Amino acid sequence: MNFNQDLFLTFFEKMYLIRRFEQKVYEFAERGLVFGSTHLEVGEEATAVGTLLNINKEDYLIATHRGHGQELLKGTDVKNMMAEMIGKDAGVCGGRVGSMHVADASVNNLGAQGIIGASFPISVGVGLALNLLGDKEKILISFFGDGASNQGNFYESLNMAELWKVPVFFVCVNNQYGMGTAYCSTCNIEIHKKASLFNIKSDYEDGNDVEKVYHKSKELIDYVRTKRLPALLELKTYRTIGHSAFDKHPYRTKEEIEDWKKKDPIKRIEATLTSNGVPLDTIDDIKKKVEAQIQDAADFAIKSEYPAYTDALEQ
Amino acid sequence: MREITYSEALREAIYQSMKSDDKVIMIGEEIGQGYAGVFGVSKGLYDEFGPKRIIDTPIAENTIMGAAIGTSLLGFKPIVEIMFSDFISVCFDGVLNQAAKVRFMTGGQYNLNLVVRLPGGEGSGTGPQHSQSLESLFMTIPGLLIANPSNAYDAKGLLATAIDAGDPVLFFEHKKLYKTKADVPQEPYKIEFGKAKTVREGSDITIVALSYMVSVALAAAAELKDKYGIDAEVIDPRTLVPLDIDKIATSVKKTSRLAVLEETYMRGGIGSEIGSIICQKYMDALDCPINKIASKNVPIPMPPSLCNEVIPDEDRVVQEIRGMF
Ligand SMILES: Cc1ncc(C[n+]2csc(CCOP(=O)(O)OP(=O)(O)O)c2C)c(N)n1
Ligand SMILES: [Mg+2]
Repeated sequence: MNFNQDLFLTFFEKMYLIRRFEQKVYEFAERGLVFGSTHLEVGEEATAVGTLLNINKEDYLIATHRGHGQELLKGTDVKNMMAEMIGKDAGVCGGRVGSMHVADASVNNLGAQGIIGASFPISVGVGLALNLLGDKEKILISFFGDGASNQGNFYESLNMAELWKVPVFFVCVNNQYGMGTAYCSTCNIEIHKKASLFNIKSDYEDGNDVEKVYHKSKELIDYVRTKRLPALLELKTYRTIGHSAFDKHPYRTKEEIEDWKKKDPIKRIEATLTSNGVPLDTIDDIKKKVEAQIQDAADFAIKSEYPAYTDALEQ
Repeated sequence: MREITYSEALREAIYQSMKSDDKVIMIGEEIGQGYAGVFGVSKGLYDEFGPKRIIDTPIAENTIMGAAIGTSLLGFKPIVEIMFSDFISVCFDGVLNQAAKVRFMTGGQYNLNLVVRLPGGEGSGTGPQHSQSLESLFMTIPGLLIANPSNAYDAKGLLATAIDAGDPVLFFEHKKLYKTKADVPQEPYKIEFGKAKTVREGSDITIVALSYMVSVALAAAAELKDKYGIDAEVIDPRTLVPLDIDKIATSVKKTSRLAVLEETYMRGGIGSEIGSIICQKYMDALDCPINKIASKNVPIPMPPSLCNEVIPDEDRVVQEIRGMF
């Protein structure tokens, strides 16, 4: 197989950007700058990057409560993302909601719900709207977690997505846990098989292999876009940190975590790059570029003001 | 006496009820293994009582509630934990159309012992879908009892009562109270529903305050007395349904002024209900209009710069009450 260096460098840069973004948010959380909780996707970067590199700017996104990478890859400015994380008025939602609920109309990001499972029916509705509008080009990419697939509205939505033939690409980020609960203790059927039961084209892939995620999702996205039918991709991955910033995740064994750290998607892509002769300097340059971007964003966020209350907020 | 936290007090009530009555079970997400209660209430209970009585579930509030109703119909006394009270939306049908109506619709042949524990309130930046106080929403529905403990002592006694109250109880806890401590007797005890408590005696104004807002009212009352010579009486209803309107009325007759302080949204809030009853029956006792002090009609924001404006705090209460004199 020939090696597409540019594509692999893009994989690396985008995954590294998410990783550093998440680490910066964690640092902010440790400094007490993040209000409420924040859900980071360290270890899961390949799922956002591999899928969203196949998505157009005009396509719609519904992200999860663990969605910073999804939101960044859809095109939201890193600075405005960072400012939202710490509740500043320059944040993409005016600093009102923070980490869990980023919406960005300028890139057709429709917003993330903090109510697990709430995104499924909304996704069907977005697909329905595209159909009603006679749109033959745009699709919705809708992310969800393994735990969310146990909510009743998942099944209702699968049924109606197929019944109404909506152009929605459902992506399950199966990190194998919902909070402290292992998926295997909550359901005895694999998630992509649940979609198959409703005659929805579905597949699964190693979610820590960005190249595989990229190719598999390209195939499914082409299918959704051209056939105007739903599809579902389950990506098996792992968050190598806690559910929320300060969760010390005692519900998992050290061995399990260490095992998955060995499969870290960024380490893997770095190895692929070097084994294909990409000079270390090239990799370092990307790291420096990302580092500068993150630092700029962090400075920008810190310097921004907290939002001021006005009576206009009353509804 | 022994001081324990609000969450320890809740746990003790559950523990003691489960020890003395094998029909008492718990159902919810992350209550047994995993987090053992996001606010730590059920910590250790799984080890003590095992998976048949501390029942962990998938993320599926709708079926959690339905299953609780089903077990209750067959004589169990389920305690449901909804991780954040906001998520009750996902099982609203079970609460509103099934649980609340069982006694009436079956002509009293069936009734439910069923507690729904609901951690609510703003909890330092948890945002619009994890911070609401929704008591007033449910107060309108016949068939539901509503408890709102404001301290560890009440938490234990009210929960013990709720577990076999004979009708479904929405048990609203508050995130900011879990770590607060109070003197709590070790031995089991119950607090009767519908009995308000005067937590501070005063002669100039009656402040009815609920849940976490009781502590805000007390702080404001101290400041009002020290700085402005206003002597406020603070009443904690402890249960919204049934509501001890007599105690509130008796206090208003003494003070001639009433303010209702709550974290729920202003519109259609608890103040609207209590205020209208007092107006209807005891108008003559009032020297000035009733004051509703509640969260503004804004989804609960994340950053403190907005939260502090939306949710009543001590300063706002002091200012509002001074405006009544
Ligand atoms: C209706 C509802 N129930 C429970 C929760 C609490 N909660 C937040 S995240 C989460 C786990 C979700 O698991 P999963 O879908 O696998 O996503 P992950 O966090 O693993 O990315 C839970 C139970 C919630 N936010 N909403
Ligand atoms: Mg998960």
